[in-house]
Amino acid sequence: MTTADKGRADTVVDFDAALIERARKGDSRAFERLYRDHVGRVHGLCLRMTRNPDQAADCAQDAFIKAWKALPKFEARSSFSTWLHRIAVNTVLEKRRGPSNAEIAVEDPTEYEEPVLSFDTPVEEEELEAAIQSLPQGARDALVLCGVYGYEHSEAASMLGIAVGTCKAQLHRARGLLRDRLERGVR
Amino acid sequence: MTGKSFGRRVNRIDQLAQNVPPARDLWPAIAEAIEADRVDALRPAHRRSRWLPAVGMAAAVALVTLGVFIGRMSTPTPDPIAGTTLAQGEASLIPAALRDANYRKQRDALLVEVNNQLKSMPPAERDKVAASLATLRRSIGEIEAALGRDPANALLQELLVSSCQEEMRALTAVRDSGSQEI
Repeated sequence: MTTADKGRADTVVDFDAALIERARKGDSRAFERLYRDHVGRVHGLCLRMTRNPDQAADCAQDAFIKAWKALPKFEARSSFSTWLHRIAVNTVLEKRRGPSNAEIAVEDPTEYEEPVLSFDTPVEEEELEAAIQSLPQGARDALVLCGVYGYEHSEAASMLGIAVGTCKAQLHRARGLLRDRLERGVR
Repeated sequence: MTGKSFGRRVNRIDQLAQNVPPARDLWPAIAEAIEADRVDALRPAHRRSRWLPAVGMAAAVALVTLGVFIGRMSTPTPDPIAGTTLAQGEASLIPAALRDANYRKQRDALLVEVNNQLKSMPPAERDKVAASLATLRRSIGEIEAALGRDPANALLQELLVSSCQEEMRALTAVRDSGSQEI
């Protein structure tokens, strides 16, 4: 289970499990409940990764269709939310044409271990979202998954198909760029 | 991001809203796709798997090519070594590409993966794929036998190489069909 899910685990996962079991048996109403419960987070992830509302909606829609088809393969011991996010990230990556998430050289990934990005002065959400959208793709992906959705580097790296060290380096880069852009915006 | 105004101020990036609902309800389109999938699943006999066209096409190509070749072979030309078969010691007559250790290794590895894949297929699809692969192998066997009778025949050698390539393509298509679900 991901860090991102820990807070929701007690209340949601068991309820999800019952719905998943029913959906697996072909109950589309149960799957609709799962959709209603998870679509916001899946769409939010897609929107931040694609930066395009139409594309994000298409990706979220495709992710749920793929999830329905792959439900028999879902292993109940993992988090449904993480599994769904993995499918969504895959869908976004598939829709991106051309090279993405290029590996960047990392000499010592441990130097990039950092706590959650925080700001001395509170920032407006809208301003922060705009700064995230302005980041280069690889840095943005790492920041969205690790920073916003709380995934560990290993989970995010696995979803993005990159090395853990690369993910750490991308996040480090994203934080630096974000601070710069926010400072410039504030001045 | 979605047009709505964020007036809230945050101190940490993880305070950003994770829930960003789409502007339109995606469920109707998802429900439609689910229904189509359900209808498709109810008709397994009519369902065409992604790998079947590739394997079927490969088998058909091999058969047609072999047929054309046999047609050419039937013209009355003197054949000094007719009737001989490719013996173990004459393996060097097989084109170099097919004697390559890498090719053999890749093919053996593919066969193992494909056999595993076949086990997980519905019986009807498994039979179709197995039949197509068998047709391909029969064609390759016949070409090898013909090559045994006419070892210097460049056309036969070329035909053998292309049939083996077809077989590799078909095996790869079957193998890859198992990793495309997500």
